[in-house]
Amino acid sequence: MLKRLLLGALVGFLPSYCYSDNIAPYYGTTGNAAQSGLSWSMKDVLPAPPGLDINGVFYRYTPNKNTADDMKVHVQNERANGTGYVFRDTEDWSGHPGGIEVRKVIGIGDIPREAWGNGSIEVEGTGTVDDATVIYSYKVDPCYDPQFSPSCPGYKTPIPDIPTVNLDDLYDATKDEYVNLNDEEKLSIEENEERLAEEEEKEKAEAEEKKRKYRLEKLMSISDAAALFAETQIIEQMNGIMQDQLNNTYLAATIPGGQYKETIRLVDAKLPENKAGLRNGLAQQILHEKMVSQQYK
Amino acid sequence: MLKKASIIVAMSLFALSAQAVDVPISGTVQSRCVITTDTPGTYGNPNAYTLTTSASDGGVQPIVRYDVTLADAYYAQITTPTSFSTSPSLNDTVSWTGSTEVSSVSDATNMAGYESAKTVSGQTTQFDLTATGSTWFKSTSVATNGGNKAFPGGNYSATIEAVCVAK
Repeated sequence: MLKRLLLGALVGFLPSYCYSDNIAPYYGTTGNAAQSGLSWSMKDVLPAPPGLDINGVFYRYTPNKNTADDMKVHVQNERANGTGYVFRDTEDWSGHPGGIEVRKVIGIGDIPREAWGNGSIEVEGTGTVDDATVIYSYKVDPCYDPQFSPSCPGYKTPIPDIPTVNLDDLYDATKDEYVNLNDEEKLSIEENEERLAEEEEKEKAEAEEKKRKYRLEKLMSISDAAALFAETQIIEQMNGIMQDQLNNTYLAATIPGGQYKETIRLVDAKLPENKAGLRNGLAQQILHEKMVSQQYK
Repeated sequence: MLKKASIIVAMSLFALSAQAVDVPISGTVQSRCVITTDTPGTYGNPNAYTLTTSASDGGVQPIVRYDVTLADAYYAQITTPTSFSTSPSLNDTVSWTGSTEVSSVSDATNMAGYESAKTVSGQTTQFDLTATGSTWFKSTSVATNGGNKAFPGGNYSATIEAVCVAK
């Protein structure tokens, strides 16, 4: 049950979340279209943004007539293409007294602004209309043009239009026959061009030399690396052979367990000095001292 | 045998009491006639002994709107005041006059005849609401102090009664 509730809540929130990602349409109303007269152009009434749909009309007026007179009043908009009316509402005042205001709000399914032609209040019969007000309500979808905002569905990242320029078509004052240069100026330009050409050649040669040196260094470094590698291999092989020889000097022997007791026993209480050893040690000492003293000579 | 009969009677009574159930029925009626104050009125005071809602005398005419969604089912009855609801202590008898007329309609073809078909009885005006839509009625109320005596200073208020009467 809890799972169902959570699922329901999630589904409930999902549309609002998606909606908030996009730019929502907004609504508005125009001013009084009949302010300046009983006919008007919708271009002067509707605001500028594209993607505008008219969804309602409010109008009011007071007829001025005699009760006995026949009178019909049409509040209308022609179709933009001139074929009939996109909106027309008629009140028949025939047999009714004047002076009673009519107020009407008429809902219209969203009709794009492009369909709306000129508007008017047309009186058919005897009588006039006073204090007329006609107001349109509308809805604007900012994403009518997807490029309005990156948040709009269908938005495409614009790719700048970079014009192709032929360099030969660019203006060169030095080739302009109408530019008057004296001989000194012309010579100066020629010298400058020659100097520029020489500098360019020099730069090319230097760049080529640098490349050559670089390639040579690279090659040498590669050969050095190969030699070092080979030498390392030889040393490793020699080390391996020596290690094998060392391994062969050892015997596989089993040492029996137990306790090894001291078997040598000294029978004498005092061990005499080994005179031969003493002599040998003395000779070694003399030699050592000679060696040490030699470095101070 | 008597015991058995008693048991049977008791069981029967129990069964009868268990079958008695009250089933509620409820419902809601949405009004098809809605009355709304469109413009509250104001008394002007053109002279010391007169209070009037007439615009030419500095007053504001009260306007009431009837919204009807069922045609030919209601009467609009509007009664202008016959006394002040609040006022200072009056020093004489006040005489009252009043009238109500159609101010605006949302369907001229079917409602423009309301005005000519209205009936007046004393301070009460009745309109036959034969069409669906909105109708605005505006009233005028005039209070005159007796003997042309000046009204005592203070605040005065009165009430218009607007009702929707089903046919």
